[in-house]
Amino acid sequence: MNQDASGRREADRLKAESGLRTLIRRPEIGSFSGMVVILAFLAIVAGDVVFNPLGIKNNLAIISQLGIIAIGACLLMIAGEFDLSIGSMIGFAGMSMAMMMKWGLPFGLGEATPLTAFLLTLAMTLAIGCIIGNIVVRSGLSSFIVTLAFLFILRGLTEVSFREFNDGSTQISGLPDFKQDDFVAYIFGGEAFKWIFELLYEIGWNVNRRGEQWVGGLDARVAWWIVLGFITYVVLAKTQLGNWIYATGDNKESARANGVPVRQVKIGLFMFTAFCATIFAACQVFDTNTADAAKGNLKELEAIAAAVVGGTVMTGGFGSIVGVVFGAVIFGLVQNSVFYISWIDGSYYRVFLGTVLLIAAFANENIRKRITGGI
Amino acid sequence: MAPEAKPLIAVESIVKKFGPFTALNGVSMNVMPGEVHALLGDNGAGKSTLIKILAGVHQPTSGQIYVEGSPVSFRSPRDAAAAGIGTVYQDLALNQLMSVTRNFFMGREIFSGPAPFGVMKIAEMDKITHDEMVKIGIDISDPTQAVGTMSGGQRQTLAIARAIYFGAKVLILDEPTSALGQKQQMEVLKTIKRVRALGNIAIIFITHNEIHSKLVADRFTFLSLGEVIGSGTKEELAGDDIRRLMAGGAEMKDLEQELATI
Repeated sequence: MNQDASGRREADRLKAESGLRTLIRRPEIGSFSGMVVILAFLAIVAGDVVFNPLGIKNNLAIISQLGIIAIGACLLMIAGEFDLSIGSMIGFAGMSMAMMMKWGLPFGLGEATPLTAFLLTLAMTLAIGCIIGNIVVRSGLSSFIVTLAFLFILRGLTEVSFREFNDGSTQISGLPDFKQDDFVAYIFGGEAFKWIFELLYEIGWNVNRRGEQWVGGLDARVAWWIVLGFITYVVLAKTQLGNWIYATGDNKESARANGVPVRQVKIGLFMFTAFCATIFAACQVFDTNTADAAKGNLKELEAIAAAVVGGTVMTGGFGSIVGVVFGAVIFGLVQNSVFYISWIDGSYYRVFLGTVLLIAAFANENIRKRITGGI
Repeated sequence: MAPEAKPLIAVESIVKKFGPFTALNGVSMNVMPGEVHALLGDNGAGKSTLIKILAGVHQPTSGQIYVEGSPVSFRSPRDAAAAGIGTVYQDLALNQLMSVTRNFFMGREIFSGPAPFGVMKIAEMDKITHDEMVKIGIDISDPTQAVGTMSGGQRQTLAIARAIYFGAKVLILDEPTSALGQKQQMEVLKTIKRVRALGNIAIIFITHNEIHSKLVADRFTFLSLGEVIGSGTKEELAGDDIRRLMAGGAEMKDLEQELATI
């Protein structure tokens, strides 16, 4: 069994690397340490404003919003593709839902309910995702270019549609507060985990100055983030589809040679990023009862950045949902919390995020080379 | 050759033309069960074309392939795989960043539940991967290790074990030793011997290397310029014959003379 003179075997060469080394190779480890560092830093410099019920609610709103689209971006990146149309898709979906709620369903289908508006919008965004995916796999063009084209196309269409059907305005505001008495609107725009905040009130932490309960609950999008994160974690780590996603991104020729339906995997994931963008938009529309043609601007890049910070390798084949959850926490926290720190100019957050992104990209590349034997 | 033994694969007068170019001009060969059949020849002799026809990548212009006596025609690699012909190409169709087990079952995962969302039975897959690789000689301690961390020889073994597990009766190994160091070449030759010892699997071993072929092969077919210029069992061909046929039929002495005149 390939022994040399002193009786050593090929397999022995791997055992020397265990324990800490194995841990270092996990895709989540970098983002986890980054998250710990940032949480500790914030606790020290801005503990009183960040770690109170309202601070937690606000931070988690930003984090989960980013987290939802970062999950989509991460899965697609593991399969070896990008989607730069996520932000425009958010704008498109938000416009579509808000206009249906204001002006009724298209094609004379009558009054819209939050459910029908959501489902019809989802059907459109999934169809667009399917078109994007088909263009990418059939043309062999880089998804960077194809989705960049859709970034422009969808944003333009959103503005044109607004002007055409919304009396020339690219905004809708003052919609009725549907979440008050519609269940579907509530699960997107309402509150989740109320019981935790009631419990916190009971134990005397979640109390405002008048002695009442301060924060009612977290935004519903936090629950969406957790649910989506859990489902995609199981799919990626445990299921056949998860193996196909990794295989597709790692080396699509060998995946295809082994019978993995590479094209369908990619098209499906482009549809999934469209799905994530639609959930993002639905939470926004039914929470604020507004829509704006500019919504979602640059979100595609934040989603990709959060995925990279979460340990996803840009060239595909490597990454994890747990990592991207940590990545979203890092990104969302920094984005939101730097403004709490009075002695730092708020705009430094971009400088900081850029630096974190660069470090993460280097670290990921290092891990990839370690695994493929480059180091 | 025992008279009762039937060939697992019989290739009869295969002709393959690419436009005006004749790549194969009536090639015939028999692959016997449990034997290692070395397919030798210089670059451009037609080895690649022949195995691509056997693997279902190309269709022959004329001629017939028989698998276990019945005529077959492969329209795609999938057809060939279904008929029990497993091809291990030089790139091995492995994914470096994925674990050994995930590679072993890539595209053919064991799962419960509705496809493709079925949950993989990872423990069972780990065990099968480990056991199948032990059968042909490599005891990987950790089936979750990434293929990128394995040696070239180990990767060959993984690709071969995978092909056998998924029903290959005939393994086509396309120059499995050519990109490896000395020690790993020996590893691969050992693997070939172990597969042979399983008894029911035939191997078509494509190589440039006369020494390697003599070490493991039971039967030889020499191709030159699209035709068979010699074939036979190890016993039938003396060492000198192999060397002469390897050089495309030229006599070693002639070559030596040619070289001496320069």
